[in-house]
Amino acid sequence: MKLTVNGEPHEHQGGETPDALLEELGAKKEHTALLLNGSVVPSKEWKTTTLNENDEVEMLVFVGGG
Amino acid sequence: MTKDILKIGGEEFSSRLFLGTGKFSDTKTMIEAVKASGTELVTVALRRFNREQAEDDLYGPLSELSTVRVMPNTSGAMNAKEAIRAALLGRELSKSPIVKLEIHPNPHHLLPDPIETYEAAIELVKQDFIVLPYIPADPVLAKRLEDIGCAAVMPLGSAIGTGKGLSTADMIKIIVRDANIPVVVDAGLRAPSEAARALEMGCDAVLVNSAIAAAGQPAAIAAAFKIGTEAGRAAYNAGLMPTSEVAVATSPLTSFLK
Repeated sequence: MKLTVNGEPHEHQGGETPDALLEELGAKKEHTALLLNGSVVPSKEWKTTTLNENDEVEMLVFVGGG
Repeated sequence: MTKDILKIGGEEFSSRLFLGTGKFSDTKTMIEAVKASGTELVTVALRRFNREQAEDDLYGPLSELSTVRVMPNTSGAMNAKEAIRAALLGRELSKSPIVKLEIHPNPHHLLPDPIETYEAAIELVKQDFIVLPYIPADPVLAKRLEDIGCAAVMPLGSAIGTGKGLSTADMIKIIVRDANIPVVVDAGLRAPSEAARALEMGCDAVLVNSAIAAAGQPAAIAAAFKIGTEAGRAAYNAGLMPTSEVAVATSPLTSFLK
């Protein structure tokens, strides 16, 4: 499935859920927050939300900032 | 004896020094500075997950500091809509409603946009955030943000990273005089004496980042900022002496030496 992940095209091989996507990309689930097409998806919905072709996903983590 | 606790939106702090976690040379240095500062609140930013830069992820290292709360900021947001989105993302990770609302679209001066900040604050308060907005040192704006339910206001001392100190001191004094919520000076401080001066003026806390991260020895200066902040608060509580236009002798001016 073709997705845009963090601004880059990504060919997603795994299951059609954010949970599977995070697994595939090696992201630590507890450390990551998710936007799907501009909306926040809480972690409890990661296994039940369906990803669709051309969806835009943003995966965010905490980094240093003032 | 009262412990002079700082209360912001129901959260209690015994340290009046907050730290930003940006600009440090590495995470280890940042954590050492955080510990040396005695802070109980640090800010973090959100950035895209990058597998190649996993060491930048602060979630793990900060989770180990049990006395330190994490306050996500909304840096990167160009407008209210983006800031609200950032706040929601931050809350997902921090599991806490406290947020530093910052919207500074112009990278040259990084001054906060008062209009977008006000609009974002209204919405974030509605969504039960504890909102700490980063603002220009504008007493009218500060009062407006208090009126719509912000938990504190964070007026800048000088532009971020400039180290120009309390260039807005006169405006901050007005904000302090009129505020019924805590006032946290955020941005531009360079020296612990400036943190002391802010607290002496009646500010409730300071937020320091560049002054520590970009110093020669971050942990050492963080410890100095801790002392400076405590000194300033102690002085404020003790009450500074009155000023006088004319000299007032401290020793008796007897004439026995003639």
